[in-house]
Amino acid sequence: MRKLIRLAVLVALAVWVWRRFFAPSGPEERAGISYADGSSIVLEPSSPGFERLAAIARRAIGP
Amino acid sequence: MDAAQALTELMQLSTQVETAVVLGADGTALASSPEGSAAASALAASAHELLSAASDLGSKQEVTRVEVELADGAVFVVSEGGRTVAARTSPEPAAGLVVYDLRTCLRSIEDEPKKKRTARKSKSESEAKPEGEEA
Repeated sequence: MRKLIRLAVLVALAVWVWRRFFAPSGPEERAGISYADGSSIVLEPSSPGFERLAAIARRAIGP
Repeated sequence: MDAAQALTELMQLSTQVETAVVLGADGTALASSPEGSAAASALAASAHELLSAASDLGSKQEVTRVEVELADGAVFVVSEGGRTVAARTSPEPAAGLVVYDLRTCLRSIEDEPKKKRTARKSKSESEAKPEGEEA
């Protein structure tokens, strides 16, 4: 029983350390487009075309 | 309901929307909130550019929605029935809710001509009644 509790504590600690130091922080950036035919695409920062949309949006959001 | 009223309703309804603008089919701003602000003008210009860029990126179909979520905020553009509404929101918005509110805003503007048509029909019906009575 003690071993089980120790294991659970270790797993919880490992998850916390991963989230605290290694997981991506800050709000997620993404772009989505829908078309009249029902199709849609989602662009992430690494996707081609994302920076073009982000640059336009940044002008609207401002400093 | 005209565009300005619809936009006022949108701003009251959505706490996440900071700036919004309604554009006509020809691209002219029908209404903006805050009215006449530099932020609204910048949003209107960006809305055009976003629709154009989105059209280039995907299928050659008409673009109905563009949303760009960034660390400092988000921009939503919804186009329907020839009209376009664009909104700038705070960071990490509830995207589905914002898009729903923008669509509701656009549809409330379109309701006006339908009401007028109904009114005309009722007039013609009332004129037709006396004829029926005569016969």
